Order: sequence, then structure tokens, then C-alpha cells
Amino acid sequence: MSGATSDYTIAPDGSFTAPLELFYPYKRTVGPTLSRFLTGLRDQRVEGTRGKDGRVHVPPAEFDPVTGEPMTEWAEVGSQGSVVSWSWQPSPVDGNVLQHPFAWALIRLDGADTALLHGVDAGRSDAMTTGMRVRARWAEERTGSITDIACFEPVTSTAVVARGGS
Amino acid sequence: MAERCAVIGVGQTKHASCRADVSIAGLVREAVDRALESAHTTMTEIDAIVIGKAPDMLEGVMMPELYLVDALAAAGKPVFRVHTAGSVGGATAIVACQHVTSGVHRRVLTIGFEKQSDGNAMWALSVPLPFGMPVHAGAGGYFSPIIRSYIKRSGAPGHIGCMVAVKDRTNACKNPYAHLHEPDWTLEKAMESPMLWDPVRMIETCPSSDGAIALVLANESIADAHDGPKAWVHATAMRSEPTQFAGRNQVSPKASEDCAADLWRKAGITSPIEEIDAVEMYVPFAWFEPMWLESLGFAPKDQGWRYVEDGVTEMSGRLPVNCSGGVLSTNPIGASGMLRFGEAAMQVMRTAGEHQVDGVRKAFGHAYGGGSQFFAMWVVGADKP
Repeated sequence: MSGATSDYTIAPDGSFTAPLELFYPYKRTVGPTLSRFLTGLRDQRVEGTRGKDGRVHVPPAEFDPVTGEPMTEWAEVGSQGSVVSWSWQPSPVDGNVLQHPFAWALIRLDGADTALLHGVDAGRSDAMTTGMRVRARWAEERTGSITDIACFEPVTSTAVVARGGS
Repeated sequence: MAERCAVIGVGQTKHASCRADVSIAGLVREAVDRALESAHTTMTEIDAIVIGKAPDMLEGVMMPELYLVDALAAAGKPVFRVHTAGSVGGATAIVACQHVTSGVHRRVLTIGFEKQSDGNAMWALSVPLPFGMPVHAGAGGYFSPIIRSYIKRSGAPGHIGCMVAVKDRTNACKNPYAHLHEPDWTLEKAMESPMLWDPVRMIETCPSSDGAIALVLANESIADAHDGPKAWVHATAMRSEPTQFAGRNQVSPKASEDCAADLWRKAGITSPIEEIDAVEMYVPFAWFEPMWLESLGFAPKDQGWRYVEDGVTEMSGRLPVNCSGGVLSTNPIGASGMLRFGEAAMQVMRTAGEHQVDGVRKAFGHAYGGGSQFFAMWVVGADKP
């Protein structure tokens, strides 16, 4: 951490400007529920938790949003799904799932009742539509992380695979 | 107060440097389940939830109260978030208390937590903002000059900090939830502990902990009907002041003195050392025990260190301070203030187990935060106020 005011500049109007670059590491202990979900991704398996009302949450909820009870019932869902909502990212930044333009999307996987946030490698924004079918593109090296799904990609009409899910 | 308020449930987690077995939600839930059990109640009977933690940057989860709604079974219930730096646990309990004393809610759950292993609190608190005074090397670097100022002003001998530290670390061994269990400290050994920020030695410094605490607060009719131990809230007080201003007394900030004076007045206490039977004081660096004894009115100016030296603040002393082991033994920052408030309540409820002091009728809980600028305090008692 360097001193705060060593490299400031003075603008023509007399105002002072100094850079503030904040880099800060975090880690997560995810607990038993997300641990099972992430371990499943390593094995190309997507699992969610089933609430008291029968809804399947993917990614899994640790506690039932309705009752607050710990979620203990699991359901495997498909690795394909439908885009519920999306937003185009024309200028990816470091750490984004893709380093060329892509869509952030909420994706409801087949068999799930909630949506998962991930990137869709659609090439161009006009290739994106709400309701479009997408499938997971698995990373070659998987470590038990959400990035074990490298991204999602559009399912072309000629390549529709049977629906997965429970 | 329109309504009386009592603590009818206290629950805390086992505190540790890393609770790798749980998520933030799981950590919070562990404390909540224990608090609800001791209050003989359930989530469905809770009217509102008041939750606090230190700055969100510590874990990098922004507005975690939203993510925690599931774990708190809070869907459709009022959830109130409190932010006041290190004093937040105390401030949160006070806000929760006001939810009851105002007559708005009958039974309120309040929570303080921190999962410090998810980030690095020392550096999160030392961001070098342009054109501001740099706070190098975390809270210890900030507070050590203030401690030096106290030592110079009061003439305290150099071993007082170590005496406090050995007391608190020894007390912590009687508290199964405490983070540090280090039974073998002696004053001689403590004096050889490495110097981190002169005059603060390593043993005189709080750890970094993962932990949570929850309290169930209830109005008079529910507390009367509760067939378990309870601690009545006699008075609460909060004060704040800026970090820097000309002439500021950083050893005994005016906000601290004003907050204590307001608290004693509201609680009808004229001599704190005579009338308070147990103290849970926010002491993240050992020297703050004598400093706060003076600032809060337990000891005359410049005499706080003598109380430490004479054993007044030992568990067997006239004014037991931090029988739980205090912040020096357990420091999940956002929970630390509420731990002081909850441990004070436990002394009144006689549920403190091995670190229970005999015959506690009134106890004092204390929290401070920021650059010694945010203060929250309460007095709880066995009798109705």
C-alpha cells in the first residue's frame, strides 16, 4: 500500500486528482449446501435443492425461502435451459467468464424453478432472445467452481438434445 | 420508555479464526437457533429482525441482510440493518430494543456477525484514501499512539496491558464459545510477547474471528410469561463524534463520556462501581481497559491502571470485567459489541456457566468503534426497571 498523496495532479481549474486503485482478496467458505453443488459441477452434474413447496432451486438455496428450514432434499437438473432475461456485455473486464463480447443471462435449467446467472457466448447481441435455449459448455479442467461451466452457448434448432432434469 | 424490554434468549456460535464448516448464512443460523431455543420460541413468532455487522467490505458481500433473508426465515417480515463500524453489535441491540420499547413489535430477533476469514479486516480498515490521513497497518497502528498518550498522561507502568491480556485470556478458558483458549499465560511470559505496535504487544491484541451472536428481545407481557431466565433492559445510550477535530481528546472522547453519563442517568445509577456487578467492555487492545474504566466513570482520571494492578477487574474482584474473555479472546467485529451486550445479559440471567459471577443484579455492556468515535452501551438487570 503506497502513500496516499504522492502522485496527485493539479487540473487547470486548480482541483486535485489522485488515483485510488483498490485491490483486495476475498475467499469463501461456502458451507455444506453450495459445497455439494460445486462438487457436482466438477463431475458435470448440476444439482439443486427442493423446497417444501416442491420448487427446485438452482443454484441451491441453503435455507428454504418460504419456511426458513435447512434444505436437505436434492434434485439433479439438466445442463440445458432457457434464458429468462439477459443483458449484453460489449466490453468484458478481467475476471468475466469470456474475454470477448457476450451476454450476461439468467438461465432456468431444465427441471429447475429458479434461474442461474452465467454468460452466454452468442457472438452478437442480436443472436440473443428471451426464451432461447442454451446449454452448458464445460471447462476442460474442473475444480469445483461455478466456472467449471465455462459459459453457456446457444442450442441450435438442429441440435436440440432431450430435456434433462428430474 | 413506553414499553419495558427484556432479553429472553441469547445464542452464540463457537468462534474461531476460520469456521470453514459453514457459510455466512450457516454461521448466522447457528447463533439464531441457539437464541430461539433459549427463548423457548420459534422463527414464526418473531415479529421483526434487526441485523448488524461491520463494513460490508470485510467479506465483500454487499448488503448481506438481503442474502440472509432465507436463513432468517424473514420473508415478509421487517428487516432493519444497522451500520456503525466496530460498535455495531451494541448499536444493533439498542435499535432492536427500541423496536420493542416503542411498542411497535412484541418479539424481536437481533443478530451481529462477522466472517473475517472471508477477507482481511486489518487491510480492509487501512485503505489509503487520497488526501486523507493514512491509517497504516490496521487498527493497532491507529490506536497505539492513543495508548502511548494515555500512558504518558497517567503515569501507568508498562506491564498494565499485559496484566489485562493475561486476565482476559485466562477468563476465556472458562467460556466454551471463546475463540482463543490459551491457559498457560503468565505476566512474565506476556511481557516477552512480540511488540507489534509499540506499546502494544501481540498478546495485548485481539484475534480475527468468525462468529455470530443473536438475542431475542421481548416486551413486558411476553417476558413475564417466559418461564426461563431474563435480563431487563434498564437503559441504553449511543453517541458519536467525528474521527478528527481540533482539540479532540482521543484517550477519553467526549462522545464516550457523554454516552456513559446519559446511560447512568437513565439507569438511575449514581456510582457505577458500587452499583454494577459485572462489566463486558469492548477492549480490542488491552490498554483500553484502564482507559475505558476512567472514561466511563468507574475509576477516577489517571487511576484506571491502578484498578487493573490491584485486581479490581479480575473475575474475583470488586468489578469483574470481561469474564467471557472479551474482545481480546474473540473478535468477529460485527458481533463483538453484541457479544458484550449478550454476555452482560447472561451474567444477569445466570447462564454464563463457568464464567458466571455470583450475585449479579446489574450488568453493563459496552461497544465502541471507528477511531474511538462511535459508542453504544446498556445496563441490564435482574429486576424490572
